[in-house]
Amino acid sequence: MGFKIMPKAALPAWIDRLCADYRVVGPKPLHGQYIFGDIHSAEELALDYTTTVLPPKKYLLPPREELLRFEGSNAEPVIEEDAPPTVVLGVHTCDLHAIHLLDRVFEQGYADQHYRAHRENVVLVSIECLKPCSEHSFCKDMGTLSADEGFDLHLTDLGDDYAVDIGSEKGEALLEGLDAVRDATPEDYERVNHVMAEKWPRFPYRLEFDVTELPSLLAVSYHSEHWDELGERCLSCGMCTKVCPTCYCFNVVDEVDFTLSAGKRIRHWDSCQIDEFAVVAGGHNFRPTRAARQRHRFFRKGKYQWEAYGLLGCVGCGRCAQACLVHITPVDTFNELYRRRVLYTARRQEVHT
Amino acid sequence: MSKPRVAFFEFTSCEGCQLTVIDSLQTHIELLDVIEIVQFREAMSEKGEDYQIAFIEGSCSRPGDEPKLREIREQADLVIALGACAHLGGINTIRNWQDQEDVRRYVYGDKADWYETYPARPISAVIPVDAVIPGCPIDRHEFVTIVKQLLQGRMPRIPDYPLCIECKLKENVCVYLRGKVCLGPITRAGCDAICPTYGDGCEGCRGLISNPNIESLKTVLEEHGLSMEEVRAKMTMFLSYQMMELEREAAGNGD
Repeated sequence: MGFKIMPKAALPAWIDRLCADYRVVGPKPLHGQYIFGDIHSAEELALDYTTTVLPPKKYLLPPREELLRFEGSNAEPVIEEDAPPTVVLGVHTCDLHAIHLLDRVFEQGYADQHYRAHRENVVLVSIECLKPCSEHSFCKDMGTLSADEGFDLHLTDLGDDYAVDIGSEKGEALLEGLDAVRDATPEDYERVNHVMAEKWPRFPYRLEFDVTELPSLLAVSYHSEHWDELGERCLSCGMCTKVCPTCYCFNVVDEVDFTLSAGKRIRHWDSCQIDEFAVVAGGHNFRPTRAARQRHRFFRKGKYQWEAYGLLGCVGCGRCAQACLVHITPVDTFNELYRRRVLYTARRQEVHT
Repeated sequence: MSKPRVAFFEFTSCEGCQLTVIDSLQTHIELLDVIEIVQFREAMSEKGEDYQIAFIEGSCSRPGDEPKLREIREQADLVIALGACAHLGGINTIRNWQDQEDVRRYVYGDKADWYETYPARPISAVIPVDAVIPGCPIDRHEFVTIVKQLLQGRMPRIPDYPLCIECKLKENVCVYLRGKVCLGPITRAGCDAICPTYGDGCEGCRGLISNPNIESLKTVLEEHGLSMEEVRAKMTMFLSYQMMELEREAAGNGD
């Protein structure tokens, strides 16, 4: 499908139109950082943002969500059907890839009705990243620096205009009746090609090996001493998992009112990095050390999800690295494991020759 | 079902936690439909002694506190430590690192000899405690939640994960990025990260999480410009008793 051209000057009018029919959310500044939050006019929107504290995942899997209400033995699921559809503006392609993974996780097999309700209610407007957002991102290595699908609309900044790729009917509907939007001309295609060609070299490769090797690298690194070294430093604060766009572990708890027999069932984000996460009945903790928990986290990102869903669990957004007070990062961890493997292989070859 | 009879007591403390209870009785007036308060010096004149649930604020800091604590324990079916002083010994334990004679003279001047005091302890060091409501002061929402759990006959569950979890969910700017320091990574959550939300570092009033990585956090604090002495001061404002216990345990393991 061909793309459209929207002049940047039309953005305020477009946002106003969207706000009339949708809940509109997008990146906006807050105390020197960016967060996804409600947008009421184009002035609030910062489409040239770096990265956000929490990923847009929070609109699909809310940090805290009511699953059902109960009274005695009667329980009714709570599904947000009447909520206005939500347009998420300015999603970076790393986060788009992350949502693709969440879709597989929550839709595969026994589909999660709560996730599905949010997902169907959301319209994703992504934006092409033209320069690295932080020193910690490594999207180019992870293959998430662009996206061919998964968006409803996709914007590319051409200076005075946005090139608008239409990914779905839901996306196309957002542009309805907007006179300023026109079809792209051959010159516009040239402009897009130019912008894309210029952007690519701006992003560094930061992994010292090809990412397709990551699952097999982890497979031979299970007993690496590096996990103990990370465990010594790790604070088990769980921030890495809170800011991760692909972490989806949750806990479910009941909260009652003063009748003590009526209340609601709540789902909230959990974290494999905290001490009590793997405590089971009888008090046994099957992942009691920080080293084991860090290993588990990186195996989830680089191996387990690859095996279960055919996608890597890390999209290279760099949020965890930015949040970590003790400088544990996926790039450093994966590279260190790779170096040790290379060294180990070299030594073995020496012995055999 | 008759309403459970509840009493409140205080030992060495500022009574701020009981004020928070009074406050939550105003915002959650339904509490009075489900419990009967028979003794609460800060809020009423009556002094019923037939209570089933005892909430105790304050640390044990005098030999004279002990008989009263035992008496409460004997009467109550459930004893709940209310707030940081009862839970951890609170800021009263700062004196535990110092010479007790000096402390008494500093506080009471020439009347020092009138008072018999010793290092402050959480009430669990004197009597068995069934549950704790942490914080300085307690969080009123947590108080209400815990009362509901007790009334259901369930053991109250308080978070056993660090403050960073709550703080990140609020998308606060990390206090460390503001050029300050914070005990969030080793401190029990449950306060909705109130101090970092208003720009101040966590002081640890809710106590340590299980298996905290204290050594690694000390390194972080030093990386952010604190001297060894400042690190120690930070770690012993609310956490003296827990820190001394951990040191004792470590020394024990070394034997």
